[in-house]
Amino acid sequence: MADEKPDIARWVDEGARAIGLPIAPEYRANVIVNVERSLMIAKPLLDVELDDELTPAPVFKP
Amino acid sequence: MSDVLSKSATATEIARAVASGKAKAVDVVEAALKRIAAAEPTVNAFTDIVGDRAKKRAAEIDAGLHRGPLAGVPFAVKNLFDIAGLPTRAGSKINVDGPKAARDGSLVRKLEAAGAILVGGLNMGEYAYDFTGENAHYGPSRNPHDPTRMTGGSSGGSGAAVAAGEVPLALGSDTNGSIRVPSSLCGLYGLKPTYGRLSRAGSFPFVDAFDHLGPLARSVEDLALSFDAMQGWDPDDPVCTDRPADATYARLADGIGGLRIAIAGDYFAKGGEPEAFEAVATVAKALNATKTIVLPQAAVARSAAYVITAIEGSSLHLPRLRSRPQDFDPDTRERFMAGALLPGAWYAKAQRFRRIYRANVLKLFEEADVILAPATPCSAPKLGQVMMKLGGVDMPVRANLGLFTQPISFIGLPVVAVPTRKPGAMPIGVQLIAKPYNEQAALRVAAYLEKQGVTNATPAP
Repeated sequence: MADEKPDIARWVDEGARAIGLPIAPEYRANVIVNVERSLMIAKPLLDVELDDELTPAPVFKP
Repeated sequence: MSDVLSKSATATEIARAVASGKAKAVDVVEAALKRIAAAEPTVNAFTDIVGDRAKKRAAEIDAGLHRGPLAGVPFAVKNLFDIAGLPTRAGSKINVDGPKAARDGSLVRKLEAAGAILVGGLNMGEYAYDFTGENAHYGPSRNPHDPTRMTGGSSGGSGAAVAAGEVPLALGSDTNGSIRVPSSLCGLYGLKPTYGRLSRAGSFPFVDAFDHLGPLARSVEDLALSFDAMQGWDPDDPVCTDRPADATYARLADGIGGLRIAIAGDYFAKGGEPEAFEAVATVAKALNATKTIVLPQAAVARSAAYVITAIEGSSLHLPRLRSRPQDFDPDTRERFMAGALLPGAWYAKAQRFRRIYRANVLKLFEEADVILAPATPCSAPKLGQVMMKLGGVDMPVRANLGLFTQPISFIGLPVVAVPTRKPGAMPIGVQLIAKPYNEQAALRVAAYLEKQGVTNATPAP
């Protein structure tokens, strides 16, 4: 699965449609570049394994 | 001691002179407004100047009202702080069409209660999603030490205004490095306090999980004096701590005796230009610090900070991205749009990782009180520069100026950025990182370095 490169252009087009975010044609190429860059920067986080018991730090105080 | 009407006067010097009657607040404010008028064509730090309000306040101070430790000190704030009667721009064009602030932000009120005088709002990267200080709507803030170079951002106007000597004190915000990056590039002292230490009420948010506010100045005394004046619980910011205020100013002269100082290795010792590591080595030598410690998984922390920022920030702006995309700065618009498309699972994982990273880093403070790390991977890039070489590799400027600041604000640790500068070179900063609520230790180390002449924040000529 890790070897399969995601189709970022499709991710952007379908994702934007799904959340109702119109992306004008003149912005599209740079949105794709930025999703690619995000994927690269997120990689160290995505690669790390976390214990199931590890819950987030924020505490909601009612 | 500087002439208190000159650009090199510090906030502490001005407050002493005004309190003792040696100087009048009206003259101090008048001199600051003249310096602003003279420097603005070059540095472009201000978007709003509240001259009449400042003069009125100064006259009241001279008449004996509003006494306090910052009496007569002119200051300015990043334009994401509310200023009564003005729209809170947050670096945007869109917000100018929004409501005008009904009252000043919490920290503006606290500084004015201590006698300081607000003179204006400062330029910034749009919606604080920025490390450069550039802005398509208002023009870039320019580095007073070389106006062809960046100030760093997003508190770019805060860096420019203080480094140009327009004002001795400015407030900025720091989500991933936006106080520490301009402090480094403009050669200033900057304090990013512990997360939750200072109230964020009355400021425009970016990423609630990491948003901090704090001061930039040209002396450590000024950081401590203003920090002490701004501390205290505020019910209007749910994150603001109810811990008692810590009087840091009174302890600056304690020196560094008893403080254990270490150098951050591994992640923080690579991926930058030589000047970044030379600055750390210079500071370490002056402090006799030789021990190296490793913040485990700092690269993952940077990654997680990026993910939380992109997703939280984009979620905040999604309605505006839908309704007014053409009115965004092109340099933030497509990054926000991309952020809106990232999976929620990434966000949840980043928040889970944050907990374990916090626990592991806090353990390091059992063996060190202050940890040294570079503030930026290089000194100020040229305005408009898109790519830069870091350690021989081509990297985008925007995403990477915060490489060394992001893993620290990610878990809310307090940091003082201190400025070093070699003759003929641009300034570059070093982070003094302490455990939560121990701003005092980092400030004491900064005061020692300043006294030894290792760090220096002389304004641009």
